[in-house]
Amino acid sequence: MNKLLVSPSPHIHTKASTRSLMLDVVIAMLPATVVSVLFYGWAELLLLAVSVVSCVALEYLVTKFLLRRPSTVGDLSAVVTGILLALNVPPACPWWVILIGAVFAIGVTKLTFGGIGQNLFNPAIAGRVFLLVSFPAYMTDWTVTNGFIHATDAISGPTLLGAYAEGGVEAIEGVNYLHTLFLNIGGSAGEISAIALLAGFVYLLARKVIRPHITLSIWFTVAAISLIFWLANPAKYPDPIFALLSGGVLLGSIFMATDYVTSPMSDKGGIIFGVGIGVLTVLIRYCGAYPEGVSFAILIMNSVVPLINKFCHQKKYGRK
Amino acid sequence: MKTFRIGGVHPHDSKISRNCATEVLPLPQTVYISMAQHLGAPAVPCVAVGDKVKAGQIIAEPAPRALSAYVHSSVSGTVKSIAPRKDISGNSMTHIEIAVEGDEWAEGIDLTPELVTAIPSDRAETLRKIQMGGVVGLGGATFPAHIKLNPPAGSKAECLILNGAECEPFLTSDNRIMIERSREIVVGAAIMQMVLGGCPCRIGIEENKPEAIAAMRSAVRELAYPDIEVVVLKKKYPQGGEKQLINAVMGREVGSGQLPISAGAVVQNVATSLAVYEAVQKSKPLVTNTMTITGDCLPVERQHNYLFRIGIPLSWIAEYAGGVPEGAAKIVSGGPMMGKAISNLDACTVKGTSSLLYLSAKTTKRVDSSACIRCGRCAQACPMGLEPFLLNKLTINKMLDELEANAVQDCISCGSCQFSCPAGIPLLDNINMSKGQVLGIIRARAAAARAAAEAAKANQK
Repeated sequence: MNKLLVSPSPHIHTKASTRSLMLDVVIAMLPATVVSVLFYGWAELLLLAVSVVSCVALEYLVTKFLLRRPSTVGDLSAVVTGILLALNVPPACPWWVILIGAVFAIGVTKLTFGGIGQNLFNPAIAGRVFLLVSFPAYMTDWTVTNGFIHATDAISGPTLLGAYAEGGVEAIEGVNYLHTLFLNIGGSAGEISAIALLAGFVYLLARKVIRPHITLSIWFTVAAISLIFWLANPAKYPDPIFALLSGGVLLGSIFMATDYVTSPMSDKGGIIFGVGIGVLTVLIRYCGAYPEGVSFAILIMNSVVPLINKFCHQKKYGRK
Repeated sequence: MKTFRIGGVHPHDSKISRNCATEVLPLPQTVYISMAQHLGAPAVPCVAVGDKVKAGQIIAEPAPRALSAYVHSSVSGTVKSIAPRKDISGNSMTHIEIAVEGDEWAEGIDLTPELVTAIPSDRAETLRKIQMGGVVGLGGATFPAHIKLNPPAGSKAECLILNGAECEPFLTSDNRIMIERSREIVVGAAIMQMVLGGCPCRIGIEENKPEAIAAMRSAVRELAYPDIEVVVLKKKYPQGGEKQLINAVMGREVGSGQLPISAGAVVQNVATSLAVYEAVQKSKPLVTNTMTITGDCLPVERQHNYLFRIGIPLSWIAEYAGGVPEGAAKIVSGGPMMGKAISNLDACTVKGTSSLLYLSAKTTKRVDSSACIRCGRCAQACPMGLEPFLLNKLTINKMLDELEANAVQDCISCGSCQFSCPAGIPLLDNINMSKGQVLGIIRARAAAARAAAEAAKANQK
């Protein structure tokens, strides 16, 4: 008889692995990625390539030669970070800027904390915020690069949120929400189409990669808080639908706030986390110095996650 | 459809042998009957080498003043030796070796297939028959049945739950007996109802066994005992876990550290119900049970459900069933979620044996573990609402107080966490280790408290 394996139970294992989950996230980002390449062209393709290659290369080199342990590039988490970072910068951003962002995201935010599973902050968000603070001019250059498909009203100009921050409610009057839902030229590369992002969200839910608690509580909170502002002073503040569809709310709430490593473990904790992000997002937008607040909101709430995990436990069987 | 409320996982149910009718396994030349076939202290042999024994004759008595059970001979023949022999895990235990001669049964045992439906009314006598029949729980824990069926004073059984969930993938023996011997199982249930003082009985069966559900329903209707009902349960592991089943059927939870009876529940497996029927109505002790020969690397035509006698070497059964299949990387006794990997195929069947499960390397080989990505899937899977990722970390850091505070002692070792971990972390291996330590501490603390209370009492005098 051949040699038999002997090990404790369970003797079977789910097919899901870190790699398969990350692959699902990559697939979920495909619609938004494809749309951004179609409308922003070679410039966007270059950003994606530089971002993904530098993230993966950095992860490989650091784990192999600095940390001296088996490389973790196979789990595809660096690919996810690379794509997310590229979707989070304006398409006109120079390639060397995103390279610096990748170094900060993977090198500083992820690997100095010990690599996958250990980082406190979402690498892509931290990379984006680092660039926003270090290179504000490049990070707010909303020039629309030449796409493979030419958007009819391609303009070089501010984002919807930027327009609102500059010119108030009048500046965004006449914005067609249906139009925004499909095509919202101007802004970070990944924010172009709400439908593409929502398709990714539906995919992640259908594949049970994420649970809806965090994303939905962000949407609900952003809508609720901006509704209060709007009702209090409709001449000064935009309506809740504008608040949800503009800027990075969708991109952030679907792909970055739901990052396993940097979000709470429990559903209850996820809701607190989401509400926190929602509140901070609206407050930063309306009362802060920046037109957009999602990245900062996620980053701030990332730092609260250990505390949330400490106090939010799920209900145990047979215990009060 | 009913189900338990917290956690659970959905492994593929792989009930490949579901349609294999039960076949009677022939007798080998020699059987080796273990003294440890039940939870508690091993039984004490009451025969000597050279004695002639008959099938169904008591050959070992319960250890005195301990949780234990009678053990009977499963064959007729001559006692050859009473000596240590290794069980499936390679641990030594006293076995009685009997050379098989013919197949003569002890007097008074009714081997006819006639169904005896009249329920006895003498509770104490019935309990004694269950005890003398060596009946133990056949759902996995092999807890002596007469003790579970005799709740301590002050507690009352409000519901008898028959466990026909068979939530472990691959296993089909409960499915077969529910189809083939449904009426005997229902009579067994009615006997246990009587013993428990006439409480309702619910028979929980997972939805993936429609034939068993139909057969049991028809038997319940035909026999028309009061207040017995079949409850269809959702296919979800571990639906047949005692605490989960109570939650699914009664909507109650058993308090941490409490016994099911504290929630008014008594849970017995359907196979146990059959054993109760045989012990009480036919005076036939527990020397046979049903097992499944199955696996993902065993062709369908070589899969079987066998009615086996206790004491048969597993290697003999494997040979009889056509040998260990090519490609078997692990042989498991029990289901793939909670069964034991067999390191010694020369071990023998015991009362609780439920399967020979051949798993291929592809199915069973452990993946290399990588870093926890904090996805929380283990916590979502845990049917006890625990946080395996946290317990794992606390175990690695040897933080026993924290482990107790986070309820590691409530773990039922169902394996859902480790099954669902995408990083392949051996969560249950680690948690089982610290659970043992924490339970030891809790027991020692309770013993110390008892000793202190007694000392204080003595001082007062």
